[in-house]
Amino acid sequence: MGFMDKLKGAFGKPPAKEVAKKRLQLILKYDRAGLPPNAVEAVKEAILKALEEFPFIDTSGVNIHITESENTKGKIEIEVPVKNG
Amino acid sequence: MADKVICITSGKGGVGKSTVTANIATALAMKGYKVVAIDADIGLRNLDLVLGLENRIVYDIVHVVEGVVPPEKALVKDKKTKNLYLLPAAQTKDKSAVKPEDLVKIVEELRDKFDFIFIDSPAGIEEGFKTAVTPADTIIVVANPEMASIRDADRVVGLCEAMQKPEPKLVINRLDPKKVARGDMLDVEDVLQVLNLDLLGVVPEDRNMVSYINRGEPAVLFEESIAGKELRNIAERLLGKDVPIPRWSYSESFLDKLKKLFGSE
Repeated sequence: MGFMDKLKGAFGKPPAKEVAKKRLQLILKYDRAGLPPNAVEAVKEAILKALEEFPFIDTSGVNIHITESENTKGKIEIEVPVKNG
Repeated sequence: MADKVICITSGKGGVGKSTVTANIATALAMKGYKVVAIDADIGLRNLDLVLGLENRIVYDIVHVVEGVVPPEKALVKDKKTKNLYLLPAAQTKDKSAVKPEDLVKIVEELRDKFDFIFIDSPAGIEEGFKTAVTPADTIIVVANPEMASIRDADRVVGLCEAMQKPEPKLVINRLDPKKVARGDMLDVEDVLQVLNLDLLGVVPEDRNMVSYINRGEPAVLFEESIAGKELRNIAERLLGKDVPIPRWSYSESFLDKLKKLFGSE
């Protein structure tokens, strides 16, 4: 737990408006892409399964998220890190 | 004037579309512009109530579509504000009674006779919404600083884009400065970060609003109304005047100040 988290814990919950903003930003990403909220998780699971057979990939570091895109409804970005050493 | 036909919409119901429509239309008429407000919420008419004109309706928009009377004949003259007219919705028909091309035709017939034509859209994103938006040069999305309203407003923005309409302008309605100051309610910056639209105005919660609506007298008629003042300012901005928008915002808590002190986030 970082210093800020400890401080937050000590001073109570974050303001409701911050929670609302974060939730909305996430909801709207999915709404705009026309995807259900679990879509990215489902894609991530399928990709992790496919990547298991490659020993040089650090599957614990796979990062996947949805972003906005100029030409399509949305874009799913996947970062696949190669293991050190 | 490019921004002559203005549709006011929201996605979610109950956010204050009709109130905002009635007030902006009244404010512009008070300034001497000739204004007509069209209630496009067929089957659920409301705009007549906010303006206090429910007893004066003889014909409605469906009579016009059916060719019973020309549009001018169906207009109800406002009893308090000169230059203001209402084209009422039908109360007994359903939304399919007015098609997009019907409303386009009505607007074209009224266009030369008025400085501003407001269209009060029904809630929802179906046929009635599309009909209301089709003739508009400018679209105003009304949203409350609440999650469901903002989510629906974003859907409306997407649909307007798909209809190749100009990007809607945003009116934040019923912002409660007290709740904002406590950090309970989304503030203006939060809403803009989420929706990313041009802000046309922010209307604060006004405890007298219910009484203005109950009396059928728009808030802009009252100098002392805090909502009325901002609604008049929205009308000024539609006329191209640069009136600053108050940014009621979250006052930083002790915790936020500490965060800044330690340079985190």
